[in-house]
Amino acid sequence: MTRERIENGIILGLRITGMIFFFIVVAFPFYWMIVSSFKPLEEMLLNPGNLGLSINKINFKAYYEVLFEHDFSRYIFNSLYVSIATVLLSVSLATIGGYAVTRLHFRGQKVMSLSILLIYMFPAIVLVIPLYVLFSKMGLRDSFHVLILVYLAQTLPVALYMLRSYFQTLPVELEHAGMIDGCSRLGVILRIVVPLSAPALATVALYTFMIAWNEFLFAFMFLDSPEKFTLSRGVVQLADSVHLSKQLVMAASVMVSIPIIILFFVFERHLVRGLTAGALKG
Amino acid sequence: MPALTLKGIFKRFGKVQVLKGIDLEVNHGEFCVLLGPSGCGKSTLLNITAGLFKQEAGTVLIDGQPVDHLSPRERDIAMVFQSYALYPHMTVAGNLSFGLRMRKVPKQTIIEQISETAQLLGIEDLLDRKPSELSGGQRQRVAMGRALVRRPKLFLLDEPLSNLDARLRANVRLELKRLHQQIRGTIIYVTHDQIEAMTLGDRVVVMKEGEIRQVDLPKVIYSEPQDTFVAKFIGSPEMNLYQGEIIHKENQVSFKGNGFMLELKGVGKEIEQGEAELGLRPEDIEIGADPARLPVKVEITSHVGSENFIHGRIGNETITIRVSKDEYPKPGSEVFLKINPNRIHLFRGGLRHPLVKL
Repeated sequence: MTRERIENGIILGLRITGMIFFFIVVAFPFYWMIVSSFKPLEEMLLNPGNLGLSINKINFKAYYEVLFEHDFSRYIFNSLYVSIATVLLSVSLATIGGYAVTRLHFRGQKVMSLSILLIYMFPAIVLVIPLYVLFSKMGLRDSFHVLILVYLAQTLPVALYMLRSYFQTLPVELEHAGMIDGCSRLGVILRIVVPLSAPALATVALYTFMIAWNEFLFAFMFLDSPEKFTLSRGVVQLADSVHLSKQLVMAASVMVSIPIIILFFVFERHLVRGLTAGALKG
Repeated sequence: MPALTLKGIFKRFGKVQVLKGIDLEVNHGEFCVLLGPSGCGKSTLLNITAGLFKQEAGTVLIDGQPVDHLSPRERDIAMVFQSYALYPHMTVAGNLSFGLRMRKVPKQTIIEQISETAQLLGIEDLLDRKPSELSGGQRQRVAMGRALVRRPKLFLLDEPLSNLDARLRANVRLELKRLHQQIRGTIIYVTHDQIEAMTLGDRVVVMKEGEIRQVDLPKVIYSEPQDTFVAKFIGSPEMNLYQGEIIHKENQVSFKGNGFMLELKGVGKEIEQGEAELGLRPEDIEIGADPARLPVKVEITSHVGSENFIHGRIGNETITIRVSKDEYPKPGSEVFLKINPNRIHLFRGGLRHPLVKL
């Protein structure tokens, strides 16, 4: 056997091991979650070790119950509201801010540009208790807007950082041309910078949406009234409730994860383009 | 009233003083070329005229009106960039119409002006394409079209031909000249290419290190360079320039260079003795076989097709001589100089010194 064949064999072996590992750790629980969510309660109790799912036994009762008896239709709406608001605010603020640190010259521009990511030095768990106290005293705690504000603070640094890197690759002559052609600074941003940054903006939007949609810690701490729960908060509520029926929790979990997965596959191509577009000026 | 007046323009970038007091007037319909080596501040001057950069001191006047407080869009100018800077997300038609749309020109007028401009530049077939689908020459035309379509007071062109290959550049240069004769617009054109400057310019402004060295007709720039920088910068191959001194000997004025002595026939004794620099253009020197004259040792002879160049030595200095394509002295041989006394250039302290002819 030649050396090359041995190396290839090793690589193949490692790859297969990796796939199996990934499958067990990630794919199997996911599979289990989906399968369980479609099973009737009796089936789960009688046959807890059954990994399969027979087609004729699929039932959507768990989804129905979760959505309409446990108020998840409202939680979905809440999560959508919070996530979309965060995306809109984060993307627009990051566009303006990223543009400012890239193109405008002002005192402290360098410091600001460099310190954008500084907020990541503080883990969320360190911030959540002071913020809890602060918002409680201010009487703002149990509201979507506080949640949106916190998500904004969490996503804005990375959003700014990504957009700034992208804006730096845009040729400044394009903006000069726009100004001479009759645009104001804002006009240049809206008519030239934003259309050209569409892939980067899509990336940032998706990233922000994922963070806001999946976020649990702050939602758990800040939201008290059940009618304001977001999805992730709702799932925990469900799991904690007295009559613990597994398939309901599974159905709820599926509803949390599916939208993100769909979104990811829809935007995936743009996402990759956005991330590499910075290296290769188009 | 001049179309553009620049008064005492100063600009610095950090510690570098890029422009050191520029004064210039450009007349209506004039094709004015700013020429200089890279880093001389010519593009900066153009950007200040456009309002893209702010000057530290000085005033820009368009049609006699100060425009320093106006943003680029209020100055009624158009600019063609070296990189063309076409909007990649718009079609050619979109690129051409962008400025008009921003200025809220009625749709019908926009359509008319676009088709007129497209026709002028021969890009009617390209209107639906995106810039990425165009060749370099086509992009250049679209960039020109975007400037032309608005009929601004001033056209600012920043090295618009430098991204084209050599053959295309020569063609586009001619077209540009023709275009200018057609539209009679005022053009400020920045380049580092002396051939572009000489062929295109009604007037050429030679710049160096943030200062204007000479403003003249191309012909005059070439025949009467005001200092040694302009003398060296204009002309290819460049002028032969020698340090030395002027000497009066009996009735003859001579130039004593490093290892050679050249009689300046036809130069009067009014010229004072002392240090000077002598400039000889390669084409103002003839060669002959008269051994009474100054000998040149031939080192290399190069063919350019239409003419030959001899590279050789006089004394301890090098010299370049242009000869006809039939003359081909062998390397190692000696030829003898014959100089046209009306065509010599003399500089003192770096500046042109007038020659009083007998």
